[in-house]
Amino acid sequence: MSDVIVDARTVGRSFAMPAGPVHAVRDVTLQVRAGDHIAVRGPSGCGKSTLLHMLGCVEAPSSGTLLFDGQDVSRLSDARRSALRLRRIGFIFQRFFLLPMLTAAENVELPLSEAGASRRDRQQRTKSLLEYVGLAARADHRPSQLSGGEMQRVAIARALANNPQLLLADEPTGELDEATGAQIAALLDRVNADGTALVIVTHDSTLADRATRVLMMRDGRIEPEATR
Amino acid sequence: MIVRTLVFLLVLAGSVTSAQEAARARAHDVLISRQLATEQGLSVGSLVRLATDATGTGVRTFRVAGIYEPTPDPARLGAVPREVRMHLPDLLDVMRPPGALAGTEYIANINVALADPADATAFARDVNARMPGVIARPSSEAAGSAGPFRVLERFHLAIAVVTIVAATVFLLALTIMLVDERRETVGILRLIGLPARRVLVQVLIEGVIVASAGAAFGLVLAVLSESLINAFFQWRYDTALVFVRITRDVALTSTAIAVPLGASATVLASWALLRRSGLRLARR
Amino acid sequence: MNAVGFAWRSLVRQPARAILGVLGVAAVGALLLDMLLLSQGLIVSMRDLLDRSGWDVRVSVREIPGRGGRVPAASETAARIAALPSVKATLIVRIANARIEREGGPPIAATFEGVSGQSNRGAPITAPWTVLRGRDARGADEVVIDEAIAKTANLDVGGTVTLRASCVSDLEALPPTHLQVTGIAEFPFAGTNEEGVGGSLDALEAACGGNVGDEADLLLATSTSDSRETAAAIRAVVPGLFAMTNDEVVGRLQQTGFTYFRQISTVLTTVTVSFAVLLISVLLTVSVNQRLGEVAALRALGFSRSRVVKDVLSESALIVGLGGLISLPLGLVLASGLDRILKGMPGIPAELHFFVFEGTALAIHVGLLAATAIIAALYPMRIVSSLPIAATLRDEVIG
Repeated sequence: MSDVIVDARTVGRSFAMPAGPVHAVRDVTLQVRAGDHIAVRGPSGCGKSTLLHMLGCVEAPSSGTLLFDGQDVSRLSDARRSALRLRRIGFIFQRFFLLPMLTAAENVELPLSEAGASRRDRQQRTKSLLEYVGLAARADHRPSQLSGGEMQRVAIARALANNPQLLLADEPTGELDEATGAQIAALLDRVNADGTALVIVTHDSTLADRATRVLMMRDGRIEPEATR
Repeated sequence: MIVRTLVFLLVLAGSVTSAQEAARARAHDVLISRQLATEQGLSVGSLVRLATDATGTGVRTFRVAGIYEPTPDPARLGAVPREVRMHLPDLLDVMRPPGALAGTEYIANINVALADPADATAFARDVNARMPGVIARPSSEAAGSAGPFRVLERFHLAIAVVTIVAATVFLLALTIMLVDERRETVGILRLIGLPARRVLVQVLIEGVIVASAGAAFGLVLAVLSESLINAFFQWRYDTALVFVRITRDVALTSTAIAVPLGASATVLASWALLRRSGLRLARR
Repeated sequence: MNAVGFAWRSLVRQPARAILGVLGVAAVGALLLDMLLLSQGLIVSMRDLLDRSGWDVRVSVREIPGRGGRVPAASETAARIAALPSVKATLIVRIANARIEREGGPPIAATFEGVSGQSNRGAPITAPWTVLRGRDARGADEVVIDEAIAKTANLDVGGTVTLRASCVSDLEALPPTHLQVTGIAEFPFAGTNEEGVGGSLDALEAACGGNVGDEADLLLATSTSDSRETAAAIRAVVPGLFAMTNDEVVGRLQQTGFTYFRQISTVLTTVTVSFAVLLISVLLTVSVNQRLGEVAALRALGFSRSRVVKDVLSESALIVGLGGLISLPLGLVLASGLDRILKGMPGIPAELHFFVFEGTALAIHVGLLAATAIIAALYPMRIVSSLPIAATLRDEVIG
């Protein structure tokens, strides 16, 4: 059985602008396999986040083919892509995007609830995830009562709720100080070691150095000579 | 034979026409309301037979000398004004019971137009003093009989109060949201040293401008609605009555309520926000 | 967490905003309910008043009974009507003005109703008043009076009332008549500030010095079966008069005097609903626009389009639902106040109400509020459903 999770073949993404089309991603060919730990680096505006969004089935490519678990993403309906993201992919954002009116536990429980898990299963899974990220004692705290690092850990727990094959992180340490960023990096290493493939877009060199593959992007393309 | 029949018909037609013309010439003139004319298919010159009851008691023939638009009467809204106006002697003739002597009838009202309308109160007092059994009063006092409309005025005012209360509540909710959108900006201004009072003055000026613009827009909308509502109800009831009138007083009162309300709502929402520290406001 | 739970948490996140939104809907909903009650209230109330009187056909010289003119040869007319096989009973009603004398105060102006009934096959004859205490007036020297007269003139059952009546015109100066009070009654068609006296036609004739004449202000009839058939039969027998069933009277009133209230209730209902839709839509739209990032994140996490749309719809339903619940008692209180204002109109029977609670009005109220919640949520639902996830996430980072 193939362990390829994402197979991107000469994918590109363009945006129509008043001044003319903008090619955010061009001719990217990339495979993400089970257990991969990939960092994507490059200057601002080079298309890193756009690539991440395509890998995560948030956006369909304008050209090329993107297969997720063998399925052509551009042929999938929005509902099918949402289901994919819910059950097979986890997302972590630079700005955490925790829902401020929910507690940490409720934030983690959200994807489980949406996936139809029973109450008992949700509660058990939420408890174990918060323990996993070291925040069992803060389960009933709201995001406003948590530090930046704690919020990102809750976000990681939320992203892992439905046991995804692939975890995508867009600048996960962008709003954190060095020490806290290191803690998050260590946690992400542990997630990857436990079997979840990881693709991280980052400016943080210490975070990128922990990856087994580093992809350099420039002008929407991946530079082959930078691949490690 | 054919010629004789034709001549006979012509003579017959001629004599009928002459009889009709003679009847028309004998008939006294009346005026009828537009609504009656339309309903009965009458026009100027038509002959009408008027009686006091359906059995035709006291029937007389009259000629329609003119068609008039009845003065709209709000007290009779919804009733189609099928009216006839005739000279008083003709009316008395029609209404007089058989066998009754002429001159024994009575009338309900006499309208008097004075050379100087300012004399109305004194004139009424004089008449009341000299003619027991007759009640004279100035027309302006007859408006007291517009009791139903005073009641309607209170009713409309009550509705207006409820509407203003509802609008105020929503306005407060909206201004709280809109002010909250700018909390970061406000927080930064406070952090760099602007006093709360300065920010409130700024907000007040903005609030007055927005509320004034809103009030002006509301007035334009009201004037447009006025035309539409009047047009609709005038069509619906076939009347020339004016149902909605935006007077200067109404416009001024509305503006006097709307602008302070709008400005106060913005200031109140901002004041609630400014009670928090600048650091908390500026934090994302 | 389902959509409703999620919506609840979104609302309580900003309690001031949520409370104000709900209160706004409550105020608007109260007004909406009142307009719906008003649209049919007068008709329902009048119909009830007419039906309660016990008479189902009214005969008079005008289309709307009681608006001037008298039925001539009333006894003969009533007898002809009573002879019809479909008529159970008839009642002649004659109305006169009366002034009741009292010690230490000015006379009380009142309306004196004199009645005379004829019944077939032993059918009961109901007077157009309801006796509360004592018994009905029967003889030519007996009357019933209303509570207000009893209180003001310090009278009760068994007492004697002194009154001067005028049956022809107010300019008559007749000697006072002393009548025995046999009962205290309620006159359902009397106006708010109108006092009533009731008795037989003989009592009225005595009070008017015999100057009544064989005329009636109104003839009432009850039917053995269908009142419409009875009315048609009466019209055939007395073609110069208007014979109308209770429904026809109400229908006629609906076309004339009552029509204003239906029109204004329609106009205000439309304005109220539009107002509510606009304001709730703005509230929701601003609220949604303030959390686009969260919505985009949820979509990225796998929340489907329909789920985020349901969240917005649930929020709208919660605001309108809670506001609608509060609007019910608020609307009834407001209706009571508005009813009191409108009953101040001259000539309106004290028992008549402008605002009458009906199940249909409540059902329409609920329906309109539901439609408001849906329509108000349409635009914000469209915003979240068509939200470009990646672009929004990017904008949030840049912003």
